[in-house]
Amino acid sequence: MSAGLSLAHEPVTKIPSGKLAMWAFLGSELMFFTGFFGAFIVLRNANYDMFGEGSSHLNVWLALVNTFFLIGSSLTMALCIHNAEQGNRGKQQLFLGLTLVGALGFLVVKSIEYSDKWAHGYFPTQDHHTLFYSFYFIMTGFHAMHVIAGIIPMLFMWIRGFSSEGYQHPGRLEALGLYWHFVDLMWIFIFPALYLMIPYHGAAGGH
Amino acid sequence: MAHGNDHGHGNVIKEYMKVFWTLCGLTALTVIAAKVHFPLSWGTPGDILHVTIGIMIAVVKVIAVMYIFMHLKFENPIIRAFAYIPTFLFLVLTFALNFLETWDYTYVMVP
Repeated sequence: MSAGLSLAHEPVTKIPSGKLAMWAFLGSELMFFTGFFGAFIVLRNANYDMFGEGSSHLNVWLALVNTFFLIGSSLTMALCIHNAEQGNRGKQQLFLGLTLVGALGFLVVKSIEYSDKWAHGYFPTQDHHTLFYSFYFIMTGFHAMHVIAGIIPMLFMWIRGFSSEGYQHPGRLEALGLYWHFVDLMWIFIFPALYLMIPYHGAAGGH
Repeated sequence: MAHGNDHGHGNVIKEYMKVFWTLCGLTALTVIAAKVHFPLSWGTPGDILHVTIGIMIAVVKVIAVMYIFMHLKFENPIIRAFAYIPTFLFLVLTFALNFLETWDYTYVMVP
């Protein structure tokens, strides 16, 4: 590692600066999503039937496939970092590649879901579903953007890993891993909040 | 990292696989719990039970990911503070808002 990089252990905290910075960033990211969840909770309870009706049109099976993609890619990312620490370059590349597959799979499924919603006229601007679909597109849209933001450095590290010297910045790989697990954590809350927690009892309010 | 020295290669992989299967199982449990019909008198339209169960399962999943995948089990106390304080605030907000709002609409606003 070149002397110019400040990924060495910070002298007082003994923590790599990059890792501490990533945790601070993730804390602010969590607060960013907290705003969405707070607004969602308040408006959901004030517009229960409308949110229930909107949620009933979402495809839980596609969301489950996406949950599997994210949980799986979280596992492969953890295995990638473990193998990088052990110096197993081949397995590091294999698991990083599998993480990329999971991330891209998530986006493919999400694009299928979005195009299906658009084909059926579910937009944030449509009167009847405005509020629920505003939350749906904003929360899942920001989450998907985080997935894309993770894929870019992941792809870079994976391609660099095939060079003769390999990818030689384990600190950055670890920071990316933390970010990727955070993306998984947010989906753990978004999935039940949007897809499951608003049982729809019909317009009359009964079963 | 510290945990690399403390635990064998096989043990770490076993632990990761356990977390993976736990997450899969809890995801299935989340879906099943959301489909269970509780009596209307127990707290609809806010559906307090569905929300409480859903959040509690999500909290267990979050602990598993943060503790094992994100290595908080082995981390420096400063990193733990960076992780736990925002997470605590997030959970307090979701729990409190859900509970208070649901309670309000279920037992106060709805006659």
